[in-house]
Amino acid sequence: MNQKPHADHIYIEALLKNNSRVLSKIYEKFSHKIVSYVRNNNGNSDDAQDIIQETLVTIYHQAKEKNFILTCPFDAYFYLLCKRRWLNELKKRGNSRVTILDDDTSITEEQEQQVEETEIFEKQHQLFESKFKELGAKCQELLKTTFKIKSMEKVAEILGVTYGYARKKKSQCMGKLTQLVKDSNEFHQLKAY
Amino acid sequence: MKEDSYILFDNYLNKELSASELISFEEKLNADADFKQEFEIYKALETSLASRFKNEEAEKELRNTISKLGSKYIKPEDSVKKKGKIISLFNYKQLMVAASIAMLIGFFLFNNGEPVYSDFSNHNALELVVRGNNNEAIVKAQDAFNSKNYKEALQQLTVLSETNSDDTEIELYKGICYLELNVYVEADVIFDAISSGNSAFVNTATWYKALSMLKQEQFEACKYILKTIPESAAEYKQAQKLLKKL
Repeated sequence: MNQKPHADHIYIEALLKNNSRVLSKIYEKFSHKIVSYVRNNNGNSDDAQDIIQETLVTIYHQAKEKNFILTCPFDAYFYLLCKRRWLNELKKRGNSRVTILDDDTSITEEQEQQVEETEIFEKQHQLFESKFKELGAKCQELLKTTFKIKSMEKVAEILGVTYGYARKKKSQCMGKLTQLVKDSNEFHQLKAY
Repeated sequence: MKEDSYILFDNYLNKELSASELISFEEKLNADADFKQEFEIYKALETSLASRFKNEEAEKELRNTISKLGSKYIKPEDSVKKKGKIISLFNYKQLMVAASIAMLIGFFLFNNGEPVYSDFSNHNALELVVRGNNNEAIVKAQDAFNSKNYKEALQQLTVLSETNSDDTEIELYKGICYLELNVYVEADVIFDAISSGNSAFVNTATWYKALSMLKQEQFEACKYILKTIPESAAEYKQAQKLLKKL
């Protein structure tokens, strides 16, 4: 696959670096279209803001975790992501009488692929997060501490247990989480991709 | 036992298995599909959670920036509601006709009234005093820029800027190349950085930022920026000339 970053990859870098000057360009250039789309389809400007924010945060996580490289123009990629997120949101709200205004944005295969990559990443992210919340409070706390503090020795110290116990507990909690994910419907849907 | 598998996963990911344990672990991965699937999930969870918790603070800061930008750029509902109603009373066909007439008028006015970027984009020739040893790149960059081959110039300037990262003039000319090539984001970022700094190129960068706005047909922004160029600047005269036309 072509992994050469597109010039618009600067927006991804801006997300990673929290560079508000470059990020403001995203709003300046692309938000208008998204806001009108949401407004034309049963939403308001607050909805549009949320959609844009959540989409950007997702891209941020994908870039952080998976070193996501943008290989197509940001414009169509971002617009399509926001659009689909809004449609999902409408579905969640049970708004069945919505008439969806389609528009003439044409997308290339590559853009479609990048959009899908991001969407799958997000679905996985959400699945992991929701399963994490199903864990007992103790497991949640232990894992949180473990991942925030790299050294297991320190984790054991903070939690007031021995190093061996902390290690054992950590893999037990992770194992439980693995089971929860493995047994979920969402996981089987994701696997289909 | 399952529990042992998880301890094994953890040890493997921490690179704590001995050579022989490693071999039997990898053999099991290949032979046992269920074992392999659980390992893949375990590993994905590990990466995902680690990344999420490690970046919790950074995410918060990013959300902060984004929501500030959001409320700055996305106007609240009230100001738009009225417009929406008026439009819905219109017959769409009429609206389209009105829009195309408006566009025609706009075109007409634009061609006669609005100043054009090319009227003002007379760049000073690039004359880089020798700094460092990258003579070949300097000559190539100068030749390319001065013969308006901005793509080539940008390439050479980028090479140069790698070894002269604090050279504002090289940055400025990179910005001009981007502007000529219509890569506005890059251009604007460079002009913004220089104009808010304290080099000798502050006013020049401000002037170019205005030109960039002009080229992007953001006339109000252009005007606003032009007004910040002080009388003492070499660009003051040009700025006033452009301002008059806007």
